[in-house]
Amino acid sequence: MRSALALLALPLLARAQIALLQMNGSTEVPIGSALNLGKVAAGDTLSVRLRVRNTGSAKADITRFSADGAGFTLDRPSLPFTVAPGSVQDVLLNFRGLTLATYSANLQLVSSANSISTIVIASVVTGAEVTVFPVCRGSDGPPPTIDFGRVQAGQRHLCNFNLRNPGTQEMTVSTFQATGSGFQIFSGPQPPFKLAAGSTASFMVSFAPEAAGVYTGALIIDARSYVLTGVAFDAPFPKPLIEFDSGAFQSAQQRHLTIRLPTAATSSASGSVSLAFLPDTKLVPDDPAVVFLATGTRSLPISISQGSTQFTISGQASAMFQTGTSSGKIRFMLSGILSDGDPTTTVTIPASSMALDTATATKRAGNLDIQATGYDNTYSAGSMSFTFFDGSGKTIPPGAIQADFTQDFRAFFTRTQSGSAFQVRVSFPVAGDASGIAGVDARFTNAVGGNTQHLVFQ
Amino acid sequence: MKHVLLLLFGTVCVGGIDVPDVGILVDPSGSLRPVQGVAGNFLVGVPAALGILSAACAERLCLAKTDSKILSAGGETDAPPGPAIFGLDGKEAIVYFLETHSFARWRDGVLDPLDWAVDGEVLSIRVRDGTAEIAVRREEDAWIIRPDGAVVAWIALTRGPVLLLTDGVLFAMADSIVFRRADGAEFRFSLPGTNSIAQMGPHYAAVRAGALTYALRTDAGRERLFLLPAAQGEAP
Repeated sequence: MRSALALLALPLLARAQIALLQMNGSTEVPIGSALNLGKVAAGDTLSVRLRVRNTGSAKADITRFSADGAGFTLDRPSLPFTVAPGSVQDVLLNFRGLTLATYSANLQLVSSANSISTIVIASVVTGAEVTVFPVCRGSDGPPPTIDFGRVQAGQRHLCNFNLRNPGTQEMTVSTFQATGSGFQIFSGPQPPFKLAAGSTASFMVSFAPEAAGVYTGALIIDARSYVLTGVAFDAPFPKPLIEFDSGAFQSAQQRHLTIRLPTAATSSASGSVSLAFLPDTKLVPDDPAVVFLATGTRSLPISISQGSTQFTISGQASAMFQTGTSSGKIRFMLSGILSDGDPTTTVTIPASSMALDTATATKRAGNLDIQATGYDNTYSAGSMSFTFFDGSGKTIPPGAIQADFTQDFRAFFTRTQSGSAFQVRVSFPVAGDASGIAGVDARFTNAVGGNTQHLVFQ
Repeated sequence: MKHVLLLLFGTVCVGGIDVPDVGILVDPSGSLRPVQGVAGNFLVGVPAALGILSAACAERLCLAKTDSKILSAGGETDAPPGPAIFGLDGKEAIVYFLETHSFARWRDGVLDPLDWAVDGEVLSIRVRDGTAEIAVRREEDAWIIRPDGAVVAWIALTRGPVLLLTDGVLFAMADSIVFRRADGAEFRFSLPGTNSIAQMGPHYAAVRAGALTYALRTDAGRERLFLLPAAQGEAP
């Protein structure tokens, strides 16, 4: 009975167990009694990631972990270190040799749970030397890297290389390949091939990304490998066309804006369209009414889908904007859209004569009033003329009465800074019976011209 | 003629130059904002009042309703809760309170209850030649009736908003706004999804459809639908 109880209790005892593994990417490969690192080019550093895994249910203290042998080093935490149950600790086993020979080391791990001993072997061989032509940039690393730079998606970028055997013996290259999406050996010898001592072979590697992004790969030549890098970007669009509904531009209009590409978009993109207004006058710096109406702002988001020619503006096919009440230029600009050529489009709002929206003539005790609303997009208003008529349509002497309120208008425009729209009341004090006055021709004039309204007194 | 000569040789003066007033509107956040400008060029100003449920503006009077007050240029008037419908008449107004289903006359800041009871959902009020007319919905038909229940006219088969104007009626159909003048002339503007119509000013109605607010000009011969710039800016 006692022994039965002891047996039952055994599985409950917490125990640690350390395993040593080699990492192949993210895959753990158990290491046996020997670990062959293969061929390493003379002078190159080979690094292999090893993993210490605690497969037990208690912590394990690592008290010794070394690679004892010429050329071998181990990058690991300081001893002692602890590996919790179920946890791992990665380390780097490095090897570098200059002399052509086979090297070995005793890889030893001693823990509070168990010990592991493995023989590690590496062969130093003559490595082919790769010369990178200047069109691509190389770095010696580690790891040695070849950068293909920025390449437009869908295009091919080639890098030229020379492969040289620096040794005094003929070299056989068995592995000669480019890995990684977008990279491939474009031209050159087919493996296996021989390189005579001191001889050179040329080859090209291509980088042909299909979509925008960051790419990495590897050029592997037997014992040597080089990291390949490249960045792909979308092709610039043909110059977008900023277009408007038909009709000549003038002030106080609400117009439609559309944006399209002359050909279908090769990729999706988004950005913004903005407008800016530059008035002709120096009296005001801007016209605040020149805005996109849906938001009351001067910038809207735009986007286009791959295969489409039409940009959406704030999710709509078009956007409406006001042209304001000032002559000048409205400039439409795109941002965030890479294109061949500047799509900026400028429309001109021409100077025009006085525009009257409403005009009325009324009589009140002691006064005749003429009220008008309108705008003067030249900011030069003020000159007025009034010709009164009797009931039969005859001009009442002395005829046209001139008035000049230019300074009043200038003061108004400067004070309000809200465009040139105005409402004005002009009063004629009445000293006698005004019942004989039936109407008035009111003429409002600016730098471009006048606008006459025939008004009947109410 | 002598007097006329005196007149024409008298002084000419400019009585003031201002930015043209178009009217007022209530934005989606309940802010009362002035609208200025001329046709095709509008400016929507910063809020003049907050917490506004309803508003209407004509040549001589603008009124707005908060939850408990009627606001005018002259001050505030205590009023029943909830939104209101205004029928402006010179410097007076007929007011209908939607929550209490009651009518009153507003004059010089004073509310006088009116003993009116109409059959149907009150949509709009106008006063023409001193007589009140009320747009009501019965089933899906919109009618114009008098306070005594007498039917003046049938407007349309519509579930949309209706605004009675002095010289016509403005109403929304499923995909358009219709402005029918008293003389029978009818103007139709393509505009789906109209939520509300309000009297923005003497020459414009504010039409809200989705997130956008339009200004419909109602002057004879110049009927046109404009899009108003979205309101910017907070109350000072």
